[in-house]
Amino acid sequence: MSRLTYVAKRFLLAIPVVWLGTTMTWFIIFMGPIDPATRLLSQGQTRNPAAYRAAQEQLGLNTPPLEHYLEYMTNLLTFDLGQTFLLYQGSSVNALILDFLPRTLWLGFWSVLIAVLIGVPLGFYAGMRSNTVADYLASFGGIVWRAMPNFWLAIMLLALLGSLQGMIGVSWQQFLVPIDAISGSPDMSRIGTVDGFLAATKKVLPAAIVLGSASMGNEMRIGRTAVLEVRNEDFVDMAKAKGVSDRALVWKHVLRNALVPLVPIITSEAFLLIGGSVLVETVFGINGIGWLFYRAAIQGDLPLVGTLMYVFILMIVGINLIQDLLYTVIDPRVGLEGA
Amino acid sequence: MAGATSDRERASTVRPTGSTALVWAGAGVALFALEAGALATFLTGMVADLFAFVPPLGPAQPAVATLAEWANAAQSAAREVPTLLSRETIPNGGYWNGRRWVGTFLGLEPALAWAVRVALVYGYAFACAGWAILGYRLYRREIRPTDWSPRDDVVDRFRSHTWGKFGLLVVFMFVVMAVFAPALGPTTVEQNMRESYSHEFSYWNSDAGEVQTTLVGQANLQSQSTGTSSRVMPFTYDDYNRYHPFGTLPTGRDLFTFIATGSRISLIIGVLSVGLSALLAASLALVAAYYRGRVDLGMVLLSDAVMAMPQLLLLIMLTQVLAETWIGGIYSGAFVLALIFAGTGWTYMWRSVRGPALQVAQRQWVDAARSFGQKPRVIMRRHMLPYITGYLLIYGSMTLGGAIIAIAGLSFLGLGVSPPTPEWGRAINLGQDYVTTGSWHISLIPGLLITIVVTGFNALGDGVRDAIDPQSDSAGGAAAGRGGGA
Repeated sequence: MSRLTYVAKRFLLAIPVVWLGTTMTWFIIFMGPIDPATRLLSQGQTRNPAAYRAAQEQLGLNTPPLEHYLEYMTNLLTFDLGQTFLLYQGSSVNALILDFLPRTLWLGFWSVLIAVLIGVPLGFYAGMRSNTVADYLASFGGIVWRAMPNFWLAIMLLALLGSLQGMIGVSWQQFLVPIDAISGSPDMSRIGTVDGFLAATKKVLPAAIVLGSASMGNEMRIGRTAVLEVRNEDFVDMAKAKGVSDRALVWKHVLRNALVPLVPIITSEAFLLIGGSVLVETVFGINGIGWLFYRAAIQGDLPLVGTLMYVFILMIVGINLIQDLLYTVIDPRVGLEGA
Repeated sequence: MAGATSDRERASTVRPTGSTALVWAGAGVALFALEAGALATFLTGMVADLFAFVPPLGPAQPAVATLAEWANAAQSAAREVPTLLSRETIPNGGYWNGRRWVGTFLGLEPALAWAVRVALVYGYAFACAGWAILGYRLYRREIRPTDWSPRDDVVDRFRSHTWGKFGLLVVFMFVVMAVFAPALGPTTVEQNMRESYSHEFSYWNSDAGEVQTTLVGQANLQSQSTGTSSRVMPFTYDDYNRYHPFGTLPTGRDLFTFIATGSRISLIIGVLSVGLSALLAASLALVAAYYRGRVDLGMVLLSDAVMAMPQLLLLIMLTQVLAETWIGGIYSGAFVLALIFAGTGWTYMWRSVRGPALQVAQRQWVDAARSFGQKPRVIMRRHMLPYITGYLLIYGSMTLGGAIIAIAGLSFLGLGVSPPTPEWGRAINLGQDYVTTGSWHISLIPGLLITIVVTGFNALGDGVRDAIDPQSDSAGGAAAGRGGGA
C-alpha cells in the first residue's frame, strides 16, 4: 500500500467519524430529556404558548425527527449554521465563530510552541544526563507539573503575576511590552504590526503556559525515554568509534533520531489543548470558542452548543489527519505495514 | 530471586509454630472490634437510605415502610455500639471556661485533641494495612501448598519499586481520608454547613469574661476568610475557640471538614466511573479482538467518534442536558457524573487494551479452545480476559487521577456535583478572588492536595505497569491521566 492510498484511506475513515460524532450530538441535544425550546425561553415566556411555538418553529422542532435530523445535518454540512438564540442574540453563528476562533487558535499555537520549546529540550537534557540529580529534578518536576489541575495553575499564575509589582518592582503589565491588563482577550486586529504581535503574544502567554503544562510534562517524559533509547543504538557506538566529536554526536545522531517519536505526541496533545481551553479561557477571560461553548452550555443555548461541538469535531479530526500525513513523512514505514 | 526472598523471610519468622495463623486472626478480630460500631452504623445506614429511596409502590408500600422503620431502628442501635475512632470517644469541640478546657478529650486543647484523633485514625488504618500484608506473607509462606507462583514475581517487583510504593502510600492515605471523613474533620458537615442554624455550642467570651452559647451559623459569620483583615488561617483558632486545621472558607465554614468530605465524593465518582469504563473497555476489546474484521472496524470508528468530541466539553454538555432528570438527582448528581465519565472515558482505555487483546486472541490456546467447541463468551472470559486485566489495572489507576481532576474542573465551573455537597474544585472556585489577599489558603490547599493525589495515582500506575510488564513504557496512557485537559 503506497503512502497516498494510506492517506486516502485515513481520509475516508474520517468521514464516518464526523458523521457519528455529529449524530450523537444531535441525539443528545434534540432527542434528550431536555426540550431545547423551553431552555431558550425566559421564565415568563415558558407559560406563553405563542412564544413557545415560535421557538419550536425556529428550531424546526415541529417537524418529524428524521426530517429535522436530515435538515440539521445538511445545514452543518453546508456551514449554514443559522443564528444564535440567547448568547449574542440574533447574531450569525458563522460570524461569531470566525470572530472567536482566531483567539483560541492563537492560544493553542502558543501553548503547543511553549510546550515543545521547554518540554523537549528539558527531556533531552534529562535523557543525556540520566540518573543524575538534574535528571531526577527535571523528571520529578515534569511529573508534578503534569498532575496539576490547569484551572488551579491558572489561578495561581494570575496571582503571581498580579503581585509581581510588589516583588520585583515592575508590574507584569509594564514589563517589556506594555499591555492593558494581566488577563483578557488578546487584540487580534493589530497582529500584523510588530507592536500588536508582541502585545497579543504577551497577553496569551500565561494562559498558553498553563494550557501547555500537561503536554510539557508528557513531551519531557517521552523525550527523555527517546534519548535514552537512541543513545544505546549501535549507530551511536559506531559514530563514537569513528571519532565523531561529542558535539556532532549529540546534535546529529542522538537528538535527530530522538525527535521521531515526539512528533505524533505533539499533535495528539491537541486533544487536551482543545478540551482544556474551556477552563483556561474562563479563568483568563479570553473570548475564545471554548469560553463561548461554556457560556452557551450554562445559559441553555443548546443549538449553539451542538454547532460548536461540530466545529470541535472537525478540528480534532483535521488534526488527526495532519498527524497521519506527518507520520508518512517522518516514518516512511507507516503506510507499508498494511495496517 | 523468588527463592532468595522466601528463604530470607523464612529466616525472619517470629515463631515457626502453627499458631501464627491463629495469632493473626486474633489480631484481625481485635482490629475489627475497635471499629465494629462504625461499620455497623455504615451498613445499616446504607440499608435505611436504600429503603428511603424506594419509590412508593402501591401494594408493597406498607411492607416497605415497616422495613424502613426496622432499618432506622437498627441504625440507631448500631450508633450505640462504642467505637474508638469517633468524635464521641475523642471529642475536640469544647470551650475554655476561664481556667481550663471543658468537653475536650482529657481536657486537652482542641487542636491537640483533634491531632490525637487524626493520628489514631491513621494509626488504625496503617495497622489494618500491616495486618493485611502480614496475612499475605503468612499465606505465601506457610499456608499455600506451592512455593512459588508467577504472581509472586509481580508482587516482588512492585515491592522493590520505590516510586510505585510512594504512589500506593499517597493513594492509601487519600482513601483513608475518604473512608474516615466524618471522624477526621474537626466538625461535621451536618453541624457546620447544612444545618448550622440549628446547632448551638458554648464558647469563652473574653470580653464578657464568661462562657456563652451561640449558633454555629452565627459564629461562622464571624470567622469568614475574606481577605487580609478578616481571616482564619490554617492551624489557628477562630474567635469562638474552634480549631481550623486548614483555615476557613469565605463563608466561615471549616475548610478541612469540607475537603475531607469532598474527598469522599471524588473517590466514589472516580472508582465508579473507572470501574464502569474498565468493564466497558474490556468487554468491547475482547469482542473486537475475538471477531476482528468489521466488528473491530466498527468499534474503531465508534471510539474515534467519541474521542473526536473533547471529553471535557462532552461532560459539560451532558451534565447540562441530564441535570434535571431523576438520574441527575442521585447522590447530588455524582452518580450521573460517574456514568457520563464512564461513557466518554472508555475509549482511551479501550485503545490501550485493544492491542494486548488482539495479541492474546492469536495465541494457540484460543484456537484450541475454539476447536474444542467452547462458546465465544467462555473463551473471551476464561482464556483471554486474564491476560488483559493487568493493563486494565494500569490504565485504571492513571484514569482515576484524571477523573479527579476533571470532576474538580467541572465543579470549579459550577457544574457537576450540586452545591451544598462539598467538592474540592468548588473550594478552589470559592477562594479564587482571595488568592492575592491574606486568605490565600482557600484555593491553595485543595489545589495542592489534588496535585499530590493525582501524582500518587500516576505513580501507582507506573509501579503497577513496571511490576506487571517490565518491558513496556506506557507513554500512550499519558492522555488518559489528564481528565480531558482540565
